[in-house]
Amino acid sequence: MNAVMATIFSASFLFSVIRLTTPILLAALAALITDRAGVMNIGLEGIMLCSALAGVVASAAFHSAFLGLIFAIITGVVFGLIMAYSALNLKADIILVGIAINLMASGGTIFVLYSICGDKGNSTSLKSLTMPSINIPVIGNIPVLGSILSGHNLLTYIAFLSVFLIWLLLYKTPLGLRIRVVGENPNAAESVGINVRKIQYIVLIISGVLASIGGAYMSMGYMDKFSRDMVAGRGFIALAAEALGTGTPVGIMGSSLIFGAADALATNLQVLNIPVQFVQMIPYALTIVGLIVYSVMRNRKEKKIGISK
Amino acid sequence: MKIGKRLLSALLIAAMSLTFALTGCSSQEAKSEEPAGSTSQSGSAASGKKLNVAILLNGTLGDKAFFDSAANGAKMMESELGCTTKVIEMTADETKWVPALTDASENPDYDIIIVGTWQMSEKLAQIAAQYPDKKYIIFDSSVDYTDGKCSNVYSIEYKQNECSFLAGVAGALTSKTGKLGFVGGMENTVINDFLMGYIQGAKAVNPNIKILISYVGNFTDTAHAKELTLAQINQGADVIFQVASNAGLGVIDGCAAKGKYVIGVDSDQALAFQSSDPAKAQSILTSALKRVDISITKAVKEAQAGTLKYGQSESLGLADDCVGLGTYNKNVTKDVQDKVAEYAEKIKSGSIKVDSAFGKSTSEIEAARKSVRP
Repeated sequence: MNAVMATIFSASFLFSVIRLTTPILLAALAALITDRAGVMNIGLEGIMLCSALAGVVASAAFHSAFLGLIFAIITGVVFGLIMAYSALNLKADIILVGIAINLMASGGTIFVLYSICGDKGNSTSLKSLTMPSINIPVIGNIPVLGSILSGHNLLTYIAFLSVFLIWLLLYKTPLGLRIRVVGENPNAAESVGINVRKIQYIVLIISGVLASIGGAYMSMGYMDKFSRDMVAGRGFIALAAEALGTGTPVGIMGSSLIFGAADALATNLQVLNIPVQFVQMIPYALTIVGLIVYSVMRNRKEKKIGISK
Repeated sequence: MKIGKRLLSALLIAAMSLTFALTGCSSQEAKSEEPAGSTSQSGSAASGKKLNVAILLNGTLGDKAFFDSAANGAKMMESELGCTTKVIEMTADETKWVPALTDASENPDYDIIIVGTWQMSEKLAQIAAQYPDKKYIIFDSSVDYTDGKCSNVYSIEYKQNECSFLAGVAGALTSKTGKLGFVGGMENTVINDFLMGYIQGAKAVNPNIKILISYVGNFTDTAHAKELTLAQINQGADVIFQVASNAGLGVIDGCAAKGKYVIGVDSDQALAFQSSDPAKAQSILTSALKRVDISITKAVKEAQAGTLKYGQSESLGLADDCVGLGTYNKNVTKDVQDKVAEYAEKIKSGSIKVDSAFGKSTSEIEAARKSVRP
């Protein structure tokens, strides 16, 4: 038990929590922004996977990690637009569009990977680049805190900065107000002259950008190669994190950190020879516990203010 | 108009889904050395006749390991035995496997049909019973021969525990901390068979060796595999054996980042990284190989000679050159290589019997794990 505690309270553990949280956080924010405008983006997994590949290919082609990131983001935007056009203009069910994107991404990335690298498993043959890790000047010198907070990938800092930016967007700008109104009641929004379709287009594009940064992090930060299906369900875990995060950016940061911590815990406990099957269950069990706690809290709150359902 | 739009959106989605489907169905016609007219006819394999072989893979090429090795086997059959071969990728879509296998069985041109992995064994047993005149070979698994079934199927199983024994020897001799790592894909009997050999091999050269053991839980999550690797390195492991297919890239990445050694699996992974990423190739100590190519070529050669033992399963190991270690890292000393070769000889001669996970209970495997627990 001491060994477990020593592991959990070590700097390297907390460092890995932040590293594991990054892709989930970015995707959960992408889910949040669309959810607040009343559209459900379940194609996050697929968008992340395509962006991960686009980043690797572009960074290898242009010998620039930043151009790689930009191409990853463009990919995300294109998918956001495809979703928006199919769902909003053509009135396709957005859930089905999301499923189609996820299915297409899994096979499509392998198809593209094979066309470029002649390999259906991974991008080992491409000399792709990674985004730099950043050492924060002052904080990095603080003994324990520095080794936890400093030295992460640039995209990790962008992820946590995005929490603030999305909060700013949602609560401090006219656009944010419109997004929330559209999400609450699109008919009312339309009646006061808000262009609902335009707002939903905007959120799907923002969502595409956030998810694509998450995808780029997988192949250009966390790892330095693309491999098939490497997102491995993080786009779906993000949907759970979004549900758990009470619909606010800060709440989502909290829930994403819980998922990251559960993942890190599962990783480290395995090394300490606790049965694998038990350990691999932890993140999922924690999700259920989290959802229960959330609904209990919400029920109490609703009782307090006299709303009964 | 509205219906038209709906139709259009439905078509759009159908087109996107189709991309997914299309990536799968490609089949690769292996280069034939014979003119088209002289391909062999149907019927049982008479001795000396050039055979027409179909290899059906329940996955896609490009794994740089298992399936690629089978495709290489097709090339070997053509150049060494003069066979006509066709490699068909059935993709990972399980619903396509039985139809593809049935199609191949219906085709009178194929003399022998080769499939692989445990996922195919039950399906093959069903189909083989329906086509008693066809001949089948399955690698890395065995069909159920009880009650005299499957008399037209030859099964190849690999003694992966033997090559991982050697990996354990090489790892334990290289480790400075006396702690090794093992990252498996999923906990199943084949992966644990690797583990049993690894533990025994490591203990053979260092009785006090400690081994950290983790499982990714799947064969695709590279990031999680890397995380497990970093955790093991934090706990002191300095040589890590990965048996996790594509997820194993994460193990290689983690070891390269921390300047530790990794032992690859299934194919020579140092060669795969040589040109694109020499730094990573440098972190690969060696690789434990299953030579699918050699084993299926050997089987087809025997079939051509009319001596292949259909209706039986054979376990091929070091003695048959069907498993072994790949190229060594340049930092591996001659002493270590000699020691590994010495153990390989002992296994071949039978003076060392390597532990297997097959036929072992969960508690016996757990006991083996416990014996190297730090």
